Amino acid sequence: MLSRSAERIYWLARYLERTENTARQVSVYMNLLMDLPAGVEMGWPELVRINGSTDLFFEHYKNANERNITKFLLVDKKNPTSLFSSLTYARENMRTTRELLPDEAWEQVNEMYLYAKQNVDIISNRRGRLDFLNKIMEGCQRFTGLLSGYMSHNNAYRFIRLGRKLERADATSRILELASLLLAESRSNEMRQYENILWVNILQTLNALLMYRQHVRSRVKGDDVLNYLLRDGALPRSISCCLQDLENAAEALPNHDKLPEKIAELESYVQSINTQKTTQFQLRKILDDLQGKLGELHNSISENWFLVQESTQSQSQTTKV
Amino acid sequence: MSNIWKNYKTDVSYDELMYADFQPRNNSLTLCQYLDSLTQDNIDNRKISAELAIQEMGISFTVYSDEGNIDRAWPFDIIPRIIDIKEWSKIEKGLKQRLKALNCFISDVYGEQHFIKEGKIPAEIINSSKNFRQQCVGIKPRHNVWANICGSDLVRDEKGTMYVLEDNLRVPSGVSYMLENRVITKRVFPELLENIEVLPIDDYPTQLHEMLCSIAPKQSEPPQIVVLTPGIYNSAYFEHAYLARQMGAELVEGSDMVVEDDECVYMRTIEGLKKVDVIYRRIDDEFLDPEVFREDSTLGVAGLMRAWKAGNVALANAPRAGVADDKVVYAYVPEMIRYYLDEEPILPNVPTYLCSDPEDLEYVLQNLEQLVVKPANESGGYGMIIGPHATAKEIIEFKGLIRQNPRNYIGQPTLSISTSPTLCKDKLEPRHVDLRPFILQGEDTFVTAGGLTRVAMVKGSLIVNSSQGGGSKDTWIIKTKGGQ
Repeated sequence: MLSRSAERIYWLARYLERTENTARQVSVYMNLLMDLPAGVEMGWPELVRINGSTDLFFEHYKNANERNITKFLLVDKKNPTSLFSSLTYARENMRTTRELLPDEAWEQVNEMYLYAKQNVDIISNRRGRLDFLNKIMEGCQRFTGLLSGYMSHNNAYRFIRLGRKLERADATSRILELASLLLAESRSNEMRQYENILWVNILQTLNALLMYRQHVRSRVKGDDVLNYLLRDGALPRSISCCLQDLENAAEALPNHDKLPEKIAELESYVQSINTQKTTQFQLRKILDDLQGKLGELHNSISENWFLVQESTQSQSQTTKV
Repeated sequence: MSNIWKNYKTDVSYDELMYADFQPRNNSLTLCQYLDSLTQDNIDNRKISAELAIQEMGISFTVYSDEGNIDRAWPFDIIPRIIDIKEWSKIEKGLKQRLKALNCFISDVYGEQHFIKEGKIPAEIINSSKNFRQQCVGIKPRHNVWANICGSDLVRDEKGTMYVLEDNLRVPSGVSYMLENRVITKRVFPELLENIEVLPIDDYPTQLHEMLCSIAPKQSEPPQIVVLTPGIYNSAYFEHAYLARQMGAELVEGSDMVVEDDECVYMRTIEGLKKVDVIYRRIDDEFLDPEVFREDSTLGVAGLMRAWKAGNVALANAPRAGVADDKVVYAYVPEMIRYYLDEEPILPNVPTYLCSDPEDLEYVLQNLEQLVVKPANESGGYGMIIGPHATAKEIIEFKGLIRQNPRNYIGQPTLSISTSPTLCKDKLEPRHVDLRPFILQGEDTFVTAGGLTRVAMVKGSLIVNSSQGGGSKDTWIIKTKGGQ
């Protein structure tokens, strides 16, 4: 498999995962804010903040209201991490790796892109937006299913897994950052009242509510939720689970070098996090740290497989010429 | 007949589906009756579903000037063009004969040059050809075949005779559209294909793969085959990806490959460097190797020509095979067939006036208003003039161009090329068509069953190139039932 193709396919998976995560975040957030009284400290601007794009947002918009923020996060081409931008990049990467993927998978992504492109306007009202988000989430899941059922679980598939799981671990850590707000000592009494609803929504964002209930079998509690989303070994969106899959995929690839060991290290670090004893400040530090480590992991993947150099001999020859 | 045929009038041109008295030809009868049985709604639905299929399948081509939107949906007309199998068998033989002779000629030009020495073609025509390179002299590609993939353009005149208009021996494109057109037709007219026996075309990728295997330097193990593309901004990128996918070959760009000290070509893979045996290259000669051709080329691979000359890698088509894809050399193809194969040409050439010949030059200048004049070395319909459609000013300017460089121009009578019914808004109208079959030659020769029919969508226009607003049709080679 060509290094360039591996890189494109890895990014294809990252962008599609990002597309789905953005859709999921916005959809659950809409749901949540419908339950909360106006004026609590948790509002639309938080959603932009956890995606690290507050500055970019205010370059283009004055008011951080629902309309502007959803537009910015979903369809704004000026936002390189908006849903539509991610989907466009995913399609572009796919267009250049079509020889490696089943036709149906390309048609699925292309269809989803055409749908998004033609329906940019319907997101301005809540109902249209919900429709839009559901279509996108469904489409992403269909893509995942298509590959799982139609594609050989070969090296190309492993690069899809690497991209998808790295992006997912990062997204989960950002959701947890949002959750860390709920642990703030300074949170208002009003906020404390709604805490349960908030935790439930966090679980829903990661499609984890049912699984959590089966797993924990008691009422939803902040510490438990954090613990579950960080460390559970079976929930597909938990950080630990993502890391496990990253490790397995890396292990099965040729030239994996020391990468599986590195990932295993990161995983035991995650397992060592004690959510019962962390303050909000500590938790945020931990999550920042984790995001940094995921970034390093990306660099290692890239060095291992995407940047293949010619043998040193002919390299020196080219420099001579 | 119903509305969709309303006012269907063929002009002086031969119509592919209709006789001049507006009766369907024998082999088109079923199709015409079927179209007649459809309501306007039926037709519209089918047109829309074809457009949707094209969008969803992402069949596209790129137009250089369209910034921002680099891939454009492929313009497709749902009404197929039909050719009878009896006529086709003859054309098929003619095309094989032609490509064989052309390959003999190229081998000869880069070898002993008998054809030139015996005065069959003036030496200066070869020596002044842009595509002739002294560096290629003495090289012997496998099976002595230089042009492994050829796309010939065929046109039919008003009497119904099929002519070869040109042979594209460099990097002919369009075959993926031919294949996809059939896929769409199967979706759009499934019931029609039940009643008509159309020759299948979908074995092309297999044939291409086999041909490429047959030219590999070492025949002991399955070769590593790659398709070399200039990248996604190239107008035929869709096709490059399509063919790589269909053959299970790697789609590579120049930067994915490197020539090492052992003069072998390697590609950069996730497992490190891996040897490449056969390159189906879809980039022009000029960009293949910055060491030999254009130094500023970033599309090619430095050292590729060294590796090729050393026999470590096969290139299809071979560099400089284009020496026979020159519109002046074209005029000598019938003679090549007689000379190398000792056969009479099965397919005729369009009569051609060579401006390098003083008498012909005089004739072309005198009669430019009636002629089509083309540069010897351009493709895509660029740089040519169609006399009857040109303004007086254009004629005068073009005469100047011809006088400046007569070797670079040829003249041909303006053929009133055939038409075929084409869906225009809500009814059928005659539009001019040509045909591009694809011919493969490695160890064996192979011709696609039919080819890509290109259609000039603009009324009266003779220009069918997709880069200039042309569309395409599915082409059916059919057996006429009951010996009618």
